Formats: sequence, C-alpha cells, structure tokens
Amino acid sequence: MRTRVSLFLALAWLGLVVSGALLAPILAGTAPSQVVAEPLLRPSGWPPLGTDELGRDEWSRLLYGGRATIVASLAATALTVAIGTAAALLAQGIGGPVDATVAGGSGAALAIPSLLLALLVVAALGPGFDTLVIAVGLGLSPGFARLARSALRRERGQPYVAAASALGSGRMEIAIRHLLPNALPSLLSLATTHYAWAIGGLTTLTFLGLAGEISTPEWGSMLNAARGYLRVAPWLAWFPGASIAGTILAVHRLGDWAARLRPRG
Amino acid sequence: MVPPAPRPAAGALSVFARRLGLALVTLWAAVTLSFFGLRLAAGDPLAGLLSQGLASPQQAAELRERLGLADPLLTQYARYLTGLLQGDLGRSLYTQRPVGEVIAEQAGSTVELAIAGLGMTILIGAILGLVAGSRRSTALGSGASAAAGLATALPVALTGVLILWAAMAVGRAAPAFLPLTRSDSLLLPALALGIASAGALARILEGGLQENLEAPFVLAARARGVRRGLPLIWHALRPALPLAISFLSLEAALLLGGTVVTETVFARPGLGRLLVNSILDGDFPVVQGLVLVAAAVYTLTHVAADMAAAFADPRLRDEA
Repeated sequence: MRTRVSLFLALAWLGLVVSGALLAPILAGTAPSQVVAEPLLRPSGWPPLGTDELGRDEWSRLLYGGRATIVASLAATALTVAIGTAAALLAQGIGGPVDATVAGGSGAALAIPSLLLALLVVAALGPGFDTLVIAVGLGLSPGFARLARSALRRERGQPYVAAASALGSGRMEIAIRHLLPNALPSLLSLATTHYAWAIGGLTTLTFLGLAGEISTPEWGSMLNAARGYLRVAPWLAWFPGASIAGTILAVHRLGDWAARLRPRG
Repeated sequence: MVPPAPRPAAGALSVFARRLGLALVTLWAAVTLSFFGLRLAAGDPLAGLLSQGLASPQQAAELRERLGLADPLLTQYARYLTGLLQGDLGRSLYTQRPVGEVIAEQAGSTVELAIAGLGMTILIGAILGLVAGSRRSTALGSGASAAAGLATALPVALTGVLILWAAMAVGRAAPAFLPLTRSDSLLLPALALGIASAGALARILEGGLQENLEAPFVLAARARGVRRGLPLIWHALRPALPLAISFLSLEAALLLGGTVVTETVFARPGLGRLLVNSILDGDFPVVQGLVLVAAAVYTLTHVAADMAAAFADPRLRDEA
C-alpha cells in the first residue's frame, strides 16, 4: 500500500515537472533572463518565488531551468542507451573476443568514477553546456553497456534462442531479432535508472560551473549561484535543490517500479 | 575462467610483483590516453590564452616555441614521458610554474578532506547499516534504511549545500556553532563527502545482517549462550566484513571524485578545485598531471587492497 502511495507521488511530481517545463512560456509570465524587480526579494506575492541575486524572476528561472535540466539529461541518457545497447549487441551478436573486450573494457572503465570520466571528456572538448551532455552520456555508458550485456545474456538460456539457432539463425540475427526485443523491459528499467543518474551528473557538472557562461537558467547552475547567498536568501537554494532531489528520487522510484514489472528476474 | 594450473607455491611476493607490473602498465595507459586525448580533441593548447586576450599572437608563438608545442606530437609525447621518468610533470600554461609544485601545494588539503570523509563514511555507514539491519520492521530500522537510500541517490552537491545551509541556520540561532561554516573547517565538508558513500556501505552491512541473523551459525551461537544485541550482531556481521572492506578500499579512490564537488560547495582549496579551474582555463599540463595523480592513487589502492586480500586469504594468491 505504502509503495503505491510513493509511486503515485513520484508520478505526480514528474507530471508537475514535465508540464512546468512544457508550459514554461505560459506559466512563467516573464523571461528568465529579464530583471523584473530588486535583487534577493523574498518569496511573497509577486514574483511568486522572489528574485535571484540579479533581480530576475525565480519562478520563471525554475521553470525554464527545469526545461534545460530535464531535456539535457534525457539527451545524455539517449546517448548512454545508444552506445551501451550497441556495445551489448556487438558483444552478444559476435561473441568471442568482442564479447570479452566489451565485458573487460566496460569493467575497467567502471572502476573510474563516472564523474571523473565526465570531467576528462569536458577537459578534452572544452567547457560548455553541449559538452556536458556528451560528457554525462559517455560517462554513464560503460555501466549501461555492462548491464545491457548481462540483460541480453540472460535471454540466451531461453528455449526460443535454441529454437532460432536450430532453424539456422546466425548469432547477430538472434541478438537483434530475439534477444533485444525480449530484453527490452530490462533495458527500459535500466534506462530509467540511468536517467536519474544523468540528472545527478549533469546538475553536478553545471554546479561546478563547467557549462561556461550560459545565459539560460539550469537547476545545477542555479544551485551554485545560490551558494553565495545561503545566509541572506536561502530559498534561492531550496527551490532548485528540492527540484533536483524530487526529480531524481521520483525517477528512481519509477525505475524500481519498472524493474518489478518484468515477469522474470 | 580457466582453472589455475598447479604452480609451485606462488608466494605473496610474486603476486605483488605481477600486480605492480600491471599497475605500471595502467599508469602508462592513463598518461598516454590523457596526453593524446587532450591534444587531439581540443586542438591548440594556447587557444584559451589567446581568446582571453592574455597573450598576443606574437607572445603565443614565442611561448609555443619555448614550451615545445610547435614540435610534432610524437616528439612532444616522448619528451613528456622522459620528463615524467625524471619526475618532471611539465609546466602550467598560465603561471609557467612546474605542475608538480602546483599539485603538491594543493594536495594536503584534499588528502585531509578525503581521509576525514572516509572516516565519516565508516562512522555513518556503520551506524545506519547496523540500525537498519538489526532493527528491521521497526520505524527506526526502516528510517535508517530510507536514510541510506537517500544518501546514495542524492548528488554530493545537493547534500553539501543542504548541510551548509543547515549549519548556517543553526549558527544563527547558536553563534557558538558558526565557526563550523568557515571554509577552513573540516567537519562539514567531511560530512558531505562521507554521506554519499555511507549509504552504500550501510546497504552492504544491512544486507549482510539480514542474510545472517537467521543463519545456522548465528542460531548455534545463540544456543551456546552468546547474548542477543551487540555480541550476536557482531557474529552475524563478520561474513559481510570482507565485502565491506573491499568496498571501502575501492571507495577511497572514488572519494577523490567526491572531493571535486565538496571543495566547490565549501569553497575549499584543493586538487578538485584545481582540476575544475584548469579545465575551465584549458591548462592542459595541469589537467594531465592531475589525471596521472588520480590514476596513481587509484592503482595503488587497488594493489594495496589485493595485497591485503592475498595475505589474508592464501586461496586468492593463485588467481591474481
């Protein structure tokens, strides 16, 4: 019963965040980079969440910032899933040394914290918001590749694989036409969990200031900007902080739920 | 896995030699990858200097000549490697100071933070894990379990800012606590850094307790008269300890990643801040030096952890 309540809460929160991001231009009222009132205004009346250190509308920044965070994390996750699934398919479709390389290589890369891996990518490509998306996507790829490979491997023991093999299907054909569709539910729940990690990774990198000079708001950089005003305007940290935390926890909850949907373990 | 061939008593020392050889290869790979990765992907190392107007094209050309950046890449690589063997990590593009000196200057603060963070991880992780594992199906136990879950899920940046804000709020009510929020105080940064890994450690201990509290050997211990409570928990915990210890030895290397964020949250100087600033400036020699340091710390902790395991459990010696 309690788990159902938490799932409902997670879905409700994600619904709010997504509609806030989609409807930002309608809900915001003012542009996120526009100075609307005096700086560091308390949240009372208008603007609803007060103003930031430059006098910009915090409510508008939170909406547009969510848009940036959610979409960029989604793009990073898409990159992770694409690379990881391709590696897993190659590994299981060709087998032998390729499989060993994917397994060993992803294992070795996993030993490096994905934050450091992402930092290296930023170092090579130079700071910038687009770079961060690539960095987060690449940083999470080894882990996803490893888990996707095991998900495909688990299907290998099923009778229909032996049947397809007996009918003359090649390894790669079996991997693409049989293993992949059947492993899809596992991959989907893995992708959901990785989305939560991507949000954490992206906001961490923007928090570190690695997005460079960006004019559009983003939750992680908003949290970093609020750090200097914790004493006089703590709400500037509360709003983006609670948004990041709530979204990460909600996506994790969704991932747990998706993992349990699978008929077999 | 091929079963290990019977060998005349591979002693711990030969395992050590093999491990050390592997560590050196890993270090060389990290150096090579970072050298070519940074040079090939990013192009002109002096682009940052030029675009910020810190050097005129003429000065840049002169600097390029002096730093040897005009030579072919392979020549530069060979020079970098020979320099490394002599303990020379190159010079910063910005300050022209030796990279080794710059890193050594900042290392102390980060090492201090990492050690304190590891201590916090053990302290908080053990408390949460023991409470969650031994008081299952009570409000306290599930609360500890949920706290461990939260600690693992939330990014360090978030918990760090939360801790800093809470400390400031407490400090306003009771000014005696205010010195804690100063940037040279170690307690809060260590707490923020430690909490992230504490959640995972708590999970391991909780899982171990859950698995073993009903196990036959624990029942036997109870029958022998071992008292409930801590003595019995210790019995149940022991099988989970090797896993917890190997987790912690890996975590020691991960802590270095966490320090990057913690140092930003609490405005502490250190290697993490140096790395972020060097990335932002495009100061390649410094980034490369830090990659080497991270790789060295990482491989050394692994060798040490493997050695400890091999000395403790002779069965592991043949598999290394």
